Amino acid sequence: MAEGERQDGEAGAAEAPAVLEMRDITKTFGPVKANDNISLRLGRGEILGLLGENGAGKSTLMKILYGLYRPDSGTVIVEGEPVQIRDPKDAVSRGIGMVHQHFTLIPPLTVAENIVLGAEPSRGGSLDMTRAVRETGELAERYGLKVDPRSKVADLSLGVRQRVEILKALYRHARILVLDEPTAVLTPQETEDLFSTLKDLVADGLSIVLITHKLGELLGVSDEITIIRDGKVVDTVQTEGTTEAQLARLMVGREVLLRVEKGGAEVGETRLAAEDLVVNASTGAVAVNGVSLEVRAGEILGIAGVDGNGQTELAEALAGTRRSESGRVSLDGRDITRLGSNARQELGLAYVPEDRGAKGLVQDFKLYENNALKTYDQAPFSRFGWIFPKVMRRRAAENLQAYDVRPPDPDARAGSLSGGNQQKAVLARELSGDPGVIIAAQPTRGVDVGAIEFIHRRLIEEREKGKAILLISLELEEVRSLSDRIVVMYDGGIVGELDAADATDERLGLLMAGRGGEEGRETA
Amino acid sequence: MRRLLGNIGGSLLFPFVAIVFSFAIGAVIMLATGYNPVAAYAALFEGAFGSPASLGRILLYELRLTDAAPGPQDTASLAAIGRTLVNTTPLIFTGLAVAVAFRAGLFNIGGEGQFFMGAMAAAWLGVALGFLGPGAIPIVLIACGISGFLWGAIPGALKAYFGAHEVITTIMLNFIAIFLTSYLTRVPLDREGVLPGTEPITESAMIPILGAGLGLANYGIFLALLAAVAAYLLLWRTKTGFELRAVGFSPGAANYAGIGIGRNTVLALAIGGAFAGLGGGIEVMGVYGNMDLPFVRNVGFTGIGVALLGRNHPVGVVLGALIFGALASGGQQMQFDTQVPLDLTSVLTAVILLFVTATKLVELILGKRVRELAAGTRLERGLGS
Amino acid sequence: MDEILVTIGAVLAATIRNATPLVFAALGGMFSERSGVVNIGLEGLMLISAFAGVVGAFLSGTVWVGLLFAVGAGLLFALIHAVMCVTFEADQIISGTAINLLALGGTAFLMVIVFGQGGTSPDVEKFDPIAIPLLSQIPVVGRALFDQSLLVYLMYVMVPITFFVLFRTPFGLRLRATGEVPEAVDTAGVSVARMRYYGVALSGMLAALGGVYLSMSLLSSFTEGMTAGRGFIALAAMIFGRWHPVGAFGAALLFGFGGALTIRVPPEAIPNEFIQMIPYVLTIVVLAGFGGRAIAPAAVGKPYRKE
Repeated sequence: MAEGERQDGEAGAAEAPAVLEMRDITKTFGPVKANDNISLRLGRGEILGLLGENGAGKSTLMKILYGLYRPDSGTVIVEGEPVQIRDPKDAVSRGIGMVHQHFTLIPPLTVAENIVLGAEPSRGGSLDMTRAVRETGELAERYGLKVDPRSKVADLSLGVRQRVEILKALYRHARILVLDEPTAVLTPQETEDLFSTLKDLVADGLSIVLITHKLGELLGVSDEITIIRDGKVVDTVQTEGTTEAQLARLMVGREVLLRVEKGGAEVGETRLAAEDLVVNASTGAVAVNGVSLEVRAGEILGIAGVDGNGQTELAEALAGTRRSESGRVSLDGRDITRLGSNARQELGLAYVPEDRGAKGLVQDFKLYENNALKTYDQAPFSRFGWIFPKVMRRRAAENLQAYDVRPPDPDARAGSLSGGNQQKAVLARELSGDPGVIIAAQPTRGVDVGAIEFIHRRLIEEREKGKAILLISLELEEVRSLSDRIVVMYDGGIVGELDAADATDERLGLLMAGRGGEEGRETA
Repeated sequence: MRRLLGNIGGSLLFPFVAIVFSFAIGAVIMLATGYNPVAAYAALFEGAFGSPASLGRILLYELRLTDAAPGPQDTASLAAIGRTLVNTTPLIFTGLAVAVAFRAGLFNIGGEGQFFMGAMAAAWLGVALGFLGPGAIPIVLIACGISGFLWGAIPGALKAYFGAHEVITTIMLNFIAIFLTSYLTRVPLDREGVLPGTEPITESAMIPILGAGLGLANYGIFLALLAAVAAYLLLWRTKTGFELRAVGFSPGAANYAGIGIGRNTVLALAIGGAFAGLGGGIEVMGVYGNMDLPFVRNVGFTGIGVALLGRNHPVGVVLGALIFGALASGGQQMQFDTQVPLDLTSVLTAVILLFVTATKLVELILGKRVRELAAGTRLERGLGS
Repeated sequence: MDEILVTIGAVLAATIRNATPLVFAALGGMFSERSGVVNIGLEGLMLISAFAGVVGAFLSGTVWVGLLFAVGAGLLFALIHAVMCVTFEADQIISGTAINLLALGGTAFLMVIVFGQGGTSPDVEKFDPIAIPLLSQIPVVGRALFDQSLLVYLMYVMVPITFFVLFRTPFGLRLRATGEVPEAVDTAGVSVARMRYYGVALSGMLAALGGVYLSMSLLSSFTEGMTAGRGFIALAAMIFGRWHPVGAFGAALLFGFGGALTIRVPPEAIPNEFIQMIPYVLTIVVLAGFGGRAIAPAAVGKPYRKE
């Protein structure tokens, strides 16, 4: 690769000439600034890692590049030319290809058909499948992406499907390839294959952006890494000479916004326990791979981890809304593995689910109906099959007041409330029954600061009352400030357990990214 | 209170706009084909509700406030109202059949077939139990409800346990029901005579007519109103109704709350079927006294329009049924007076349906605020689910 | 022996005649659903085209203008459905139902306007049977298969043509993709809305051929409601045939055969209503998953909204 001239004497100019530059990109969605003056530079023949947690803004940035979003301000420069990318077609014509995290493949069609869709080779009006098969086959050969062009996508594993997605971009002559969390669905072996493919692509002249939260992988394959946090670029570093610890700190460290007053824990008996729990995701893949944990009375156990490592499925299995494949869940020593969520609730297990929109609340129901969502068939709300809205309203009114839901109107439609108030309404319902154990999944996601404060305080109060609380959250700060003990989930298992006091950014970051291993084993 | 009025006003806006547009298009069609829309619509109204002047006269006479006896024009008005009542009654039932199922997130197109099954049950049992006189009525009607219930449970179970989409299965079952009843009418239950049909039920076992010059209008209309009240109570005052609505609005949350989705799917379509079956039974027991072939047609399909127009609420269904019932009975008068073919009413119905469901179109015309008011006029789930 | 052969020939001929409108409509429905739009308005489309054909023939005295009118009417009404469903995101089932109702009422209404009478229209020119030399002389089956109207021959070629279009052209590939994963089509730079319009338009034109066959080949006039549920049987044939041209053809033949039988089986043996029920029962069976799951195109019935 020829060394590029230094154009403007700027300090720190990279060695390879820039094939892509994004300058001062800003994108806001309502009150949220997803991208805040982000600048990024990709050199020719380079693999650039884009590192950050969920919600940091990496996906948004790349969607802007691919024309799925339009930036509020900033410029995109491809091969030295500022360009306007209005839709994916523009992006493709500029040589940009994207492999999304969620594939857009058509299962009943063949690999070749999927690849050529929209750019089909034809001969006098008819589809020239022979040529399509040949061309895609040659392409696959050339880059070592083993796949049979004639096979149906439905029959392929996720790893192979990803190859098809890459081929789609290559078929359209992409010179810049963006991969969004590509290893999320891959086995370690497939990950290795992917990285060797990427190296081949680079040898052929492509430039690659790799979006991920798995910093260990980046160290193995990238040349440079740009770290994004809360919509801003934190730093860009050369991969060589950077340690995981440094990356972890950059990725995760943030100013403390909220500090919760918390007394020391007075811990009692184990109330909720899981033993070797194995749970499958809705896709059938294993999401929780033999997890054991205990939550004791008077403590908050926090589960930290990047989204998609099994926390959701774990919470659901513990709460009883998802069946587990094997293992045991017990409440106060009693085996509740076979019980449904309603039965568990009656035994005193409350569950504030992660997705209040689709699971916690019926958006089109009024607040009093939501408040009775699990108890509508019990006295005093119901008798002999009839339900009594007046009683429900009264109870709801009390709850809504107690939990600071605004407006505290039992007849308001749940969907008309803000995120924070909806969450408080769910909390009101779950906690008002005085449960002994509380599972709270993402309790403050999408919630305004005032409501966050309220919810945190309530959780601490419950802890003071001696309840056992399991907190699952993607917000590291939340986990750290609320929990007494923290476990980290990665790839379906628990990879580390710490006391909250010992949970530094570095240690947590490493564990969350799959490094750091068992307690005591440090990697330099 | 303001909110209640606001809600009602908002809910009525959509159907109102749909009806206005439909009539406007009807007027255009009439002008294009050389008819007078004003005269036609006037005749339509008169054919459905009679003329206000006539009604006034009759009222005054009945209240002994005047000696002028009602003339033939006035009795014609009463007859018109009677016709409208007769048309409205079955539509309330088939409308409820669609509305209740819709509340659980399901599309019940099987109203036609369920109606027929109920009618068949009445045609058969009404004769068999005729000796019981008026006592037969409740027994037969319960049987009609059960008939419809079972016919609705079939597509419900097919959907819940086999994933077969209820739109197609209910349409198929409509045809199967029509053929089945056709066979039963023609062979086992046939009465003697040239035209195919079942034996008439003895008059004492039929639902009594209202009398007072209202023609065939019978107490069935009150049963229909009761059914609407029952539907309301079911949906908002019972456990089952709570569950149905939860499943309809948010299967995810319902599942989380431990509400069985499969069970409620079957129940929703079955209950809908029961309403339609009841309607069929009342049609036989109150109006016809038997089932001749061909029997009343399109009641089920029109029921869909009724439910949509009525925003799937029992009160709306009653009003919607009234509107479609009026359209049907007014059509004949319109044709008689102004020669506009009464089939125009089908066209009007179709246009109303289109406008009620084309939410974006109305949005375009009336602005974005309308979006929330449009809830309940379409089913978001695709056929793949 | 001769008698049996004659009967076979007659039954075959009747089967073909019954199946023809079903095949056209089923192929049409297939294009619409393959692009992701449910079209239960096939019944209405057939009816309006049957009427339009007769009007065209009546006004011009030739079958060709009639055919033109029919296809035009089918296209027009199908486009109403398309606009409603694709652009205005109306519920596709309701729109289809409305089309049926519109056709039913509209044809009856226009009958009076155009012909001055309800019920049945005056007779018009029709597509008389044309015997294909040589082929029609094949013993037993020759006359049944090759002494039919032009529309029947059109139906014969339409099956391989639709197969070719659907599976061997870029258009067909894109159409099928639109009905399965519209997002993939969108990101490939193809307009989902445009593909769906094409799919629905094709359904209108094909259904029109089925309709015009009824009024100008099988018979030579239009009668109110003459489609008598054939549009729904065609829907059943499409589903039974797994949304595949050859499958739909086979299913339509099967159902047509059933229709041909109803006349021949003595009512005492099997009541004719039960035979008529068969297509509908079969469709339910297939939907319930017996005999292999009938899986509709994955995205059918849902309006497509860009994120």
